[in-house]
Amino acid sequence: MATNFWTSSHYKQLLDQEDVDMVNPLDKEKGITLEDFKLIKIHMANYISKLAQNVKVRQRVVATAVTYMRRVYTRKSLTEYDPRLVAPTCLYLASKAEESTVQARLLVFYIKKLYSDDKYRFEIKDILEMEMKILEALNYYLVVFHPYRSLSQLLQDAGLNDINMTQVTWGLVNDTYKMDLILVHPPHLIALACIYIASVQREKDTTVWFEELRVDMNVVKNISMEILDFYEGNRMITEDRISAALNKLGFRS
Amino acid sequence: MGDGSSHRSNNSSGHSNKPEWLQQYDLIGKIGEGTYGLVFLARIKSATNRGKSIAIKKFKQSKDGDGVSPTAIREIMLLREITHENVVKLVNVHINHADMSLYLAFDYAEHDLYEIIRHHRDKVNQPINQYTVKSLLWQLLNGLNYLHSNWIIHRDLKPSNILVMGDGEEHGIVKIADFGLARIYQAPLKPLSENGVVVTIWYRAPELLLGAKHYTSAVDMWAVGCIFAELLTLKPLFQGAEVKATPNPFQLDQLDKIFKVLGHPTLEKWPSLANLPHWQQDVQHIQGHKYDNTSLYNFVHIPPKSPAYDLLSKMLEYDPRKRITAAQALDHEYFKIEPLPGRNALVPCQPGEKFVNYPTRPVDTSTDFEGTTNLQPPQAVSSGSAISGGMPGAHISNRAVRPMNVVGMQRMPPQAMQAYNLSSQAGMGGGMNPGGIPMQRGVAQAHHQQQLRRKDPGMGMYPPPQQKSRRM
Repeated sequence: MATNFWTSSHYKQLLDQEDVDMVNPLDKEKGITLEDFKLIKIHMANYISKLAQNVKVRQRVVATAVTYMRRVYTRKSLTEYDPRLVAPTCLYLASKAEESTVQARLLVFYIKKLYSDDKYRFEIKDILEMEMKILEALNYYLVVFHPYRSLSQLLQDAGLNDINMTQVTWGLVNDTYKMDLILVHPPHLIALACIYIASVQREKDTTVWFEELRVDMNVVKNISMEILDFYEGNRMITEDRISAALNKLGFRS
Repeated sequence: MGDGSSHRSNNSSGHSNKPEWLQQYDLIGKIGEGTYGLVFLARIKSATNRGKSIAIKKFKQSKDGDGVSPTAIREIMLLREITHENVVKLVNVHINHADMSLYLAFDYAEHDLYEIIRHHRDKVNQPINQYTVKSLLWQLLNGLNYLHSNWIIHRDLKPSNILVMGDGEEHGIVKIADFGLARIYQAPLKPLSENGVVVTIWYRAPELLLGAKHYTSAVDMWAVGCIFAELLTLKPLFQGAEVKATPNPFQLDQLDKIFKVLGHPTLEKWPSLANLPHWQQDVQHIQGHKYDNTSLYNFVHIPPKSPAYDLLSKMLEYDPRKRITAAQALDHEYFKIEPLPGRNALVPCQPGEKFVNYPTRPVDTSTDFEGTTNLQPPQAVSSGSAISGGMPGAHISNRAVRPMNVVGMQRMPPQAMQAYNLSSQAGMGGGMNPGGIPMQRGVAQAHHQQQLRRKDPGMGMYPPPQQKSRRM
């Protein structure tokens, strides 16, 4: 269903963390570790975000594009599906799905502007071919639910919908797309984890409100821990590490 | 989708004209054409579903070099999520990487309301049976209620988009089709009007005609009202002349046609009318013609006190906020009185009454999946199709906008059909020859017999060409 999460293809497709963390055998052969795999996906999520700012599409399009990209790599290898092409193509496809179509030539223009490196250089034709391969890899399931909608409703319900809390939690939700959370957890639980982190940080007492929600607080706390761990590890991510990981794939050397 | 293998069909060899996935079907011929591409009728070859009819909608690569058309993306996106008896079923998606084309495979429905209404008006000259009208309307509303409760507006409801299944397990069941313009309206990133207001003009709600930017599921209910009236009278209720030229023209004539039947809307009855752009700009002009004693009754001729009349007027309520919803309509008294609506809209449970054998969709058997015309029929196509495919005059140019007009195939007389207990499904669309092109009897007979031998009910799908063009 288009708007009922519990009957949607999104819900039916949720995966266990172990399945998301499987490095494809083809990539393993090239020496790609789980660490590399995650790094590359973070880098590509950032790439999508940067491109999106240039072509001026909204955050929901970015979120959908990143979700597509992450879903593709639960089924396809980095070796066969060059992430440097998959990332912009996911943005291209998401822009159509979210009714904010961006022209392929505009994407190609900004790709060149963002990266002088030849390995990022793709033509319109490459994007159009990859678009079809991505549609196939997604098994034509294109509706994605995001935490944003529940976020504003929940903040309002908790009486936390001041500008400050809204901004902090919104930023946290944006950052969750640097992880695979959207493939594993229902979006409203991700929203709750972001509210939980923000309320702890801003010393807002939300204990009673959370208790009344009738959600599994263990899951919410686990998601929160994962987000905090990510921020911890994120400091150690450098351009060098990303290049090293991508170089293992050895495209078009 | 579906079985994992079917869409993994890269045809990497690139030599064969027929991609691997296509080999699971027998192509019968072309049944429709639109701006998006072509629609074909095919039959499944595999043992599990042998002979099952499938409509395959082929999307052309967009001309502007922008990949899969957003219309196709939108349609796939929605159809992949929805399942309802009264909504057309997407059974497969295929990609042909060689020419970058995309194919959607649907369960085939033999009839559509456009064709049924036309048949009654032009061929049998009698109104549609009350049981059939009520059952069609109820099922249409049932499908629409499902869509609306999932925040999907169809936006392009018209008789040719309302399909009805032919013979078979689902005989007489309504299927709402063509979701290319549908959208989820819960959280649009842009005002809904921005992507080009649509809905074929005759079925377009007054708020859209008056320039409403934010519209709702009520636009679909207006269209249902128009379709209801058309089922009763066999004539389009508001037949305005479309102004094209500009991308978003003001359709004064269409409004005028509505006022002629329903009278002018007033601010008392429709307060938000004052905020509609075209109304604000030009009230005098819009109200240029004065219509006295307007009455819906003059056009539909059903007793004003009857439940049918009451339901119809509630669907044609000017104020979209007061217009009846699909859920309310399903609960209306009209559906609680005899004859009660049924699952098979074409044939009722209680015997005795005569029912019409509807013509089936004409098939242009001379066109292949590439949309080009074949004089030499491809191997895989059954001999029945091959016969007509090779007949002079049976092939048409792939540029033809209204292929239905050109294909000449004769429908068997109903009596003959009944003798085979197969009713109309095997017949060809004699009633669907709007251009009045002479038909070739020999072809029809041969084709017909071939169909009977195959003994499988065909389903019709994709709408005949439109009386009114759609957007784009």
